[in-house]
Amino acid sequence: MADREAVLTAIRDERLKRQSTLRRLMAMPELGAIAGAILVFLFFGVTAGGTGMFAADGVLNWVTVAGQLTIIATGAALLMIGGEFDLSVGSMIGFAGMMIAIPTVYFGVPIELSVLFAFVGALAIGFLNGLIVVRTRLPSFIVTLASLYILRGMTIALSILFANRTIVSGVRNFADGTWVQALFAGKAFSGLFVWLAETGVIATLPNGDPAVKGIPAVVLWAAGLALIGHVVLSRTRLGNWIFASGGDANAARNVGVPVGRVKIGLFMTTAFCATVYATCQVMEFGSAAADRGLLKEFEAIIAAVIGGCLLTGGYGSVVGAVFGALIFGVVQMGILFTGAPNDWFLVFLGLMLLTAVLFNNVVRRRVTGER
Amino acid sequence: MLKSFVKLLSAAAVAVPVALGAASVAHAEGERFVFVSHAPDTDSWWNVIKNALKNAAADTKTSVEYRNPATGDIADMARIIEQAAATNPAGIITTIADFDVLQSAIEGAIAKGIPVVTVNSGTAEESKKLGAMMHIGQPEYDAGKGAGERAKAAGVTKFLCVNHYITNVASVERCRGYADALGVELGDQMIDSTQDPTQVYNKVKAYLTTHPDTNGILALGPNSAEPTIKLLRDTGETSKYNFITFDLSADISAGIKDGIVNAAIDQQPYLQGYLPVVFLTQYVRYGVMPANNVNTGPGFVTKDNISLVEKLAGEYR
Amino acid sequence: MSAAIASTPDAAVRPEPGRPLIEVRDLVKHFGPVVALAGVSLTVRAGEVLCLLGDNGAGKSTLIKTLSGVHKPTSGDFLVEGRPVAFSTPRDALDAGIATVFQDLAMIPLMSITRNFFMGREPIRRVGPLSFMDMGFADRVAREEMKRIGIDIRDPRQAVGTLSGGERQCVAIARAVYFGAKVLILDEPTSALGVAQTSMVLKYVSQVRHRGLGVIFITHNVRHAYAVGNAFTVLNRGKTLGTYRKSEITIDALQNLMAGDKELQSLSDDLDGMV
Repeated sequence: MADREAVLTAIRDERLKRQSTLRRLMAMPELGAIAGAILVFLFFGVTAGGTGMFAADGVLNWVTVAGQLTIIATGAALLMIGGEFDLSVGSMIGFAGMMIAIPTVYFGVPIELSVLFAFVGALAIGFLNGLIVVRTRLPSFIVTLASLYILRGMTIALSILFANRTIVSGVRNFADGTWVQALFAGKAFSGLFVWLAETGVIATLPNGDPAVKGIPAVVLWAAGLALIGHVVLSRTRLGNWIFASGGDANAARNVGVPVGRVKIGLFMTTAFCATVYATCQVMEFGSAAADRGLLKEFEAIIAAVIGGCLLTGGYGSVVGAVFGALIFGVVQMGILFTGAPNDWFLVFLGLMLLTAVLFNNVVRRRVTGER
Repeated sequence: MLKSFVKLLSAAAVAVPVALGAASVAHAEGERFVFVSHAPDTDSWWNVIKNALKNAAADTKTSVEYRNPATGDIADMARIIEQAAATNPAGIITTIADFDVLQSAIEGAIAKGIPVVTVNSGTAEESKKLGAMMHIGQPEYDAGKGAGERAKAAGVTKFLCVNHYITNVASVERCRGYADALGVELGDQMIDSTQDPTQVYNKVKAYLTTHPDTNGILALGPNSAEPTIKLLRDTGETSKYNFITFDLSADISAGIKDGIVNAAIDQQPYLQGYLPVVFLTQYVRYGVMPANNVNTGPGFVTKDNISLVEKLAGEYR
Repeated sequence: MSAAIASTPDAAVRPEPGRPLIEVRDLVKHFGPVVALAGVSLTVRAGEVLCLLGDNGAGKSTLIKTLSGVHKPTSGDFLVEGRPVAFSTPRDALDAGIATVFQDLAMIPLMSITRNFFMGREPIRRVGPLSFMDMGFADRVAREEMKRIGIDIRDPRQAVGTLSGGERQCVAIARAVYFGAKVLILDEPTSALGVAQTSMVLKYVSQVRHRGLGVIFITHNVRHAYAVGNAFTVLNRGKTLGTYRKSEITIDALQNLMAGDKELQSLSDDLDGMV
């Protein structure tokens, strides 16, 4: 009898295993984004193949754009899975840039300290955002919309106050040769690229330099943050708490998940990511401007949504957000490579977002058995 | 599973250029130029330049692509210049909206051997420092100063600078030039009007109500000038202020004819679009290029010469 | 296969059957001027199912929220295994071995069975200074626990949303049992379920009872209560109308008692004995 039971189980398992592989595939939040990325690459491979898009400096171009977006999309995805929004990401980019540039240029603060100050300041603002959302139970949409205006306004007001202009330039004079510049705007593996150029794998400039001098720090930051975000979400207790907080905060609280602390931590994470973005930008371009990061909060959310995050929380993945950012970066730059009039860029982007959301909606219903 | 996707992607990324790289042959005619501006999608002023590019492309039998960052973010603009350089165009025309930000992108393009002409924003010195072939534009500070000198002659002592693009350094330079010509501090006489007409209207209204001793207005373009003209029409204070604006549009022309606007600073943007294409084409084909920068402005459009300008406003003027 | 199970909290020593686990005497709860509980007494014994019956507004939810640590009682005695307790959070009640399975808030549909099962009590595996959630162990336990209930689990990583309502209730109960609950409070576990689903849940409740846990089963369906209950306490207007052993009362008598006699009797007449 026990044998029969075992056989039955074996049969059942075998029959169901096939189903479960398919199911598991369908259940992957990132599936839509990965499929989308393949489509996008095929599309541009055909339409922009000969334009230099897939030459070394062309690849570097869209990888950098996608990398930048990945940094904030990772934070946005984690927060969205945790059930909240942060619309102040874009403004935080501008504000964090000013927190680095103003003390450095106008108060003689060493740039290392200014960067530290920016990170501490941003984390404090993220903490405040989270605290207000958790304590008041107001929708984070509204709370961070207020932060969006406050931070953008403060960025303009403070830069006018201290610099009498809205762009604070000259950071480069203070940043050149420091380790923070190397950390946030350096180029890695430059030896490798010199070698690649010598062997003819990538093109060289007329002056003999390789067309690509190295992998920009911003791309490495993106890879690092995405990797950490992915591991935390899928492989740690905190990750389970993030899913639980976003899936059903009450149910999570009932079993002892510290929902408030998780959410506040996530708001601090998005602020941190925005500051990484800002620091890379300030170090690379040598200036901070009041309009930096305009509308980036929506790009981050778009990337997360294309990557399979649900607007209602509790579902999604960091890997998906990375692919979402990749799609966004490739499309954004790819349209330019094709030579199509970029008047149509936003239309295309909007359609893509709509497609992604519809697709994800179908997937979610399949997964949860909802009708 | 994910790994295999990544592999597939990277394989595709490598395979595609190899397959298609051979197809791109250098064109003998029909050179491709890329024009990169800093203006957000919504800035209608750039329509004149787009028209100029169209005409120039037709006249020289070249193709010109117009590119801009959708939100006016200059950091995004740097990426667009890098992108343009990656496509190996025959030449790049770009503004220098922010020298620091665009420096490495523009220098990168020049290092690749792509001829670059700078237009509009930026100064001749910056252009030279970047290694561009020439600069075609209107010196912003000087244009503001020119406006300020006219205003001073008309007796202006306190003014309002309506800035609809406060995040652009050039815009602040214009206000500063105007203030310097009057010999006063800029202080809080510059307001961030935003680009929304209703907001511009109400912000200007609020400022003029709370600062009744204001007697001069400087608007930085149609976005800030048009709602202000409407406001002055609504309140009937059509001749209370010495009103100078940058740039032209149909509304501004009407304002000049009606005496509401005393003068419009015309930097003749058509030339900023048309000339660089023509110059670059000649350079690419025959290796010839003018030795000097071109100042397309400031020219002042007043009641005296408005009739000439009027019917082309917003399209070619 | 059972090696992993043997070391789980599930196998902890259970109190011998019949011993009182929860005793409540004259429990009173006021919300300002509103009297929600006006003197409730009941006893939950190990290895028994106590059914808590009552119409809407009888005070059932206030009572279970008080027992599970959400509300503090205004007055009255509350003893767990003979010791007086005063819970200030649901966590306190959980730590004392009282687990409540709420009707709607038990599971998160979008999360996998494994993640739901271990929500709030994730197994940890340390690698140097880092600690990870032990997904392998968690998946294995979730799968085995589901198998024990008799739920044909296809993949412990599938979303709970793919399970039926009855299965979800069972998973929630299994989770509480696995983490060492001595008393289970089930809030209307069958109210939204069909016949087959209901019998599945009832079967599992009875299975849990046989393992020595005390169960408080809240329902307003007398048939469901009679199917699994050992004792029945009827609540009406915040008071206990009385507690009866199964041998002391018939299903009809229980029905009448719960409905406040006359009303239902007359309704029953109206409907020609259909109720």
